[in-house]
Amino acid sequence: MKTAGDESSTGSSIEPPRAGTPLYVHVPFCAAKCHYCDFYSFAAVATDSEGFVPLLMREAERRAPLEPTTVFVGGGTPTWLSIVDLEALFDGLDRITGFRRSAAEVTVECNPESLDVAKAARLLELGATRLSIGVQSLRPEILESFGRVHGPRQAFLAFDAARTAGFDDLNTDLIYAAPGQDIDDWEQDLERVLGWGPTHVSAYHLAFEPGTAFERWRQEGKLARAGEELELAFFERTHARLRSAGFEAYELSNFSLSGRHCLHNVNYWENGPYVGLGPSAVSRVGRDRFGNARSLETWRADVLAQAGPAWSERLSPRASLGETWWLGLRTTRGVSPEEARATAGFADEIDPSLAEARALVEQGLLAERDGRFALTSRGLPLADAVAVRFLETATAPEAVHES
Amino acid sequence: MDTQHIRNFSIVAHIDHGKSTLADRMLELTGAVEQRDMRDQVLDDMELERERGITIKARAVTIWHEYRGERYQLNLIDTPGHVDFHYEVEKSLQACEGALLLVDAAQGVAAQTVANAYLAIEGDLTVLPVLNKIDLVHARPDEVAEEIEHSIGIDATGAMAISAKTGKGVSEVLDAVIREIPPPAGDPDAPLRALIFDAIYDEYRGIIVYLRVVDGRIERGERIRMMGTDKTYDAVEVGCFTPKMKSTGALSAGEVGYFISNIKRLGDVKVGDTMTHFRGPEVEMLPGYREPTHMVFADFYPTAAGDFEGLREALETLSLSDSSFSYEPVTSDALGFGFRCGFLGLLHMEIVQQRLEREHDMDMIQTAPTVTYKIRMEDGTEDEIHSPGQLPSPDKYEGLLEPIARATLLIPAEYVGALMQICADHRGTYVRQEYLSTTRVQLTYDIPLAEIIYDFYDKLKSSTRGYGTLNYEIVDFREDDLVKLVILVNREEVDALSSIAHREQAEQRGRSIIKKLRKEIPRHMFEVSLQAAVGARIIARENIAALRKDVTAKCYGGDITRKRKLLEKQKAGKRRMRQIGNVEIPQKAFLSVLGSAAEGK
Repeated sequence: MKTAGDESSTGSSIEPPRAGTPLYVHVPFCAAKCHYCDFYSFAAVATDSEGFVPLLMREAERRAPLEPTTVFVGGGTPTWLSIVDLEALFDGLDRITGFRRSAAEVTVECNPESLDVAKAARLLELGATRLSIGVQSLRPEILESFGRVHGPRQAFLAFDAARTAGFDDLNTDLIYAAPGQDIDDWEQDLERVLGWGPTHVSAYHLAFEPGTAFERWRQEGKLARAGEELELAFFERTHARLRSAGFEAYELSNFSLSGRHCLHNVNYWENGPYVGLGPSAVSRVGRDRFGNARSLETWRADVLAQAGPAWSERLSPRASLGETWWLGLRTTRGVSPEEARATAGFADEIDPSLAEARALVEQGLLAERDGRFALTSRGLPLADAVAVRFLETATAPEAVHES
Repeated sequence: MDTQHIRNFSIVAHIDHGKSTLADRMLELTGAVEQRDMRDQVLDDMELERERGITIKARAVTIWHEYRGERYQLNLIDTPGHVDFHYEVEKSLQACEGALLLVDAAQGVAAQTVANAYLAIEGDLTVLPVLNKIDLVHARPDEVAEEIEHSIGIDATGAMAISAKTGKGVSEVLDAVIREIPPPAGDPDAPLRALIFDAIYDEYRGIIVYLRVVDGRIERGERIRMMGTDKTYDAVEVGCFTPKMKSTGALSAGEVGYFISNIKRLGDVKVGDTMTHFRGPEVEMLPGYREPTHMVFADFYPTAAGDFEGLREALETLSLSDSSFSYEPVTSDALGFGFRCGFLGLLHMEIVQQRLEREHDMDMIQTAPTVTYKIRMEDGTEDEIHSPGQLPSPDKYEGLLEPIARATLLIPAEYVGALMQICADHRGTYVRQEYLSTTRVQLTYDIPLAEIIYDFYDKLKSSTRGYGTLNYEIVDFREDDLVKLVILVNREEVDALSSIAHREQAEQRGRSIIKKLRKEIPRHMFEVSLQAAVGARIIARENIAALRKDVTAKCYGGDITRKRKLLEKQKAGKRRMRQIGNVEIPQKAFLSVLGSAAEGK
């Protein structure tokens, strides 16, 4: 779907976002493509980003919400861009949306090889409030197996540069249960990263995503998953260690000190609205979810042609209800049935999710407290198996089309 | 047509020995089918028949052949080759005076060759042996002719050697049909007597009755009486098959063709019945009809518990075109409302199941097939049991009897030892052993039918590398030390997984079922226990460990749609499962009771 006016193909035109809608910006450029990564990103050369920011601004002028409450610049590696490009990006976005006054949180994703004190300081001046640094591991051999272009020391230096530049709010991204990874080594990594003093840790269980080198190697038998028991041990040890360091596991893979949740991401798990700009970025506005092409060239052409989204879907209230539960149960805060119904626009007398939730309470996988349902410690590592139960109660999406 | 210029014949053969190819060639040779319209298996209409290369329903076709300057009407009645459709073969043969006994000159005499040849001999038909596939390099016509003489006891010295594939010798076969097979004996001037030897359901025309006129003549517009059912019908159309239906207005003594009236249900026509004129002179009924015997029973349940009515409609529609299976409503604690169906055999069961799925889009759970058992009560009366669930507790009956099949196995001589062991393992009783030639042996055993269904046929095939063939006939019901083998899932008895087994085999069977279930049932969020029990005694147990970890690591705005679709795909997989208590059991698991499923075929 690449021609202008194609928005009508969803059945009705996609409405403009309300003021305050969270904003995501995708920068697809990286120094190298990591072997596990399934985001739209690629190892870029300098000419790849020519004209990128102006195009992004063109898209923003057409689609960006006014006064977003949060902004997240992700990728890819946004810090791969030059300071000049970053200035154009932030100044342009502020001119179009006024985010510097409205946004309570502005996160920028960084990789160690492209963050120094000067760039960090400039990002702070440009309006960033929070940096998320891709540390992944502190073991050279594991970083190498991931295809990362930095070492452990460079990760520490990047973190230190962010701190020196004046950022309070710092996240470190980490990956565990990698092939060949030792669980005690992992705990030591975690220990050392905690010693740097981050306010937030995202610790992801390594996923073999379709289309990645890792998944291909797994199918070819060159790599093996850690195995369920070990994966569970990693999961549980990660949770225990971070909890004892005063971090709250507010989502399945996200931990923070008090008051330092990532507000932008919390909105996703609340199934709230958002607007995404840039190649592959996804938006949810009203009942529609839609996305840009996963290709820099196609995205560029679409922006120039003022085309509609590359794909879109509209969920029925019932399907949306199931989705709201699935996403919400990823968080410690859990789900309030009333709020979920309101979010999904579900108005039937009988709430099928509620019955499912009660059954899961019986099975010890969910607990109900103060009118909210959340996963128990036994339910946490089974979040997907639990989620399927809610999607089961949902009917098929009313309309899904993809190009 | 005067009867002297009519020949009615059949081809009897083992599956894959080339019967359909020979029929195709005959049609081509006599110009019944233009070469450009020729496709393989012209007579096999049903999609399943073409796909599996087998004939399920009998077909008939009228062809014309010139012999010594005179024109003859030849009616070829095609017959199914598989053991399950034994009864169809019998009906077809009744309409003939002769049969071609077609044997693969490379593979030699097979079990159904013998069984079908005997049907022809018992029906007093002239049997002409024909050796097919002589173009194959490993054809051994002399040895196979010897096998025919030994196994069937007919003179095979003059057996015709042909290649149905290339057409070599086919014209000579047609000459021989005219020369050797006697013309029909009926009297064209006598009162009408016609044998119904088959009937099919046609979506547009209703029931098409296949008939062979024995005496007299039937014409369009006449009023006809079926003597067995005492129903009357008007002959809306009468004709022959060329192979397409061609209205001829009349059929007279000796001729084979079809009859159409406004008959709606296949069940209204009894194959084997005699047709005569309504209010015509009294005639004697032709020997004929018996109800098909259902040897194998299995339950069908809709996968979606609410779709019982949909399944009923599908079964009703299917029974219009296949009256040889039975169905009656049944209730299972585990599976809810469904139907217990009776079949002629395992292949028949499979075909019905596939037709329901394909032609009627049914999504079903099928239980493992079981045979008919009988229980003997204290007062000597007997009751039939069609599923393990129907079996009362042992104190309620005196004895449990099972059907015994006399199994004829035709195998290469080198496998005799292995086969005898397999027969012994399946509670077989030795009856006799005969050498048909130096390389082929016919073994006869009495084996409980339940054993044949369990995995005997698969074992036979695998231990003879596919060369062994089997034919069987039920000869007896015998009492044995049979027990109900109960399967418990999370300590709950699942009736649909229970079976009846010999006491000595129960433990081993129980272990095997539990092992298979362990593989088939996916892990749950809790531990699932599986147990096999005889009475109060647990004879086997396994646990399916609880699923411990199943979680997507990252899920942000750009991931939601794709991840949801992945989860929905998982969910769709679960739709094909049945929930028993808290446990979801996939369709395939219900066949775990069957031994043959063990080798993962």
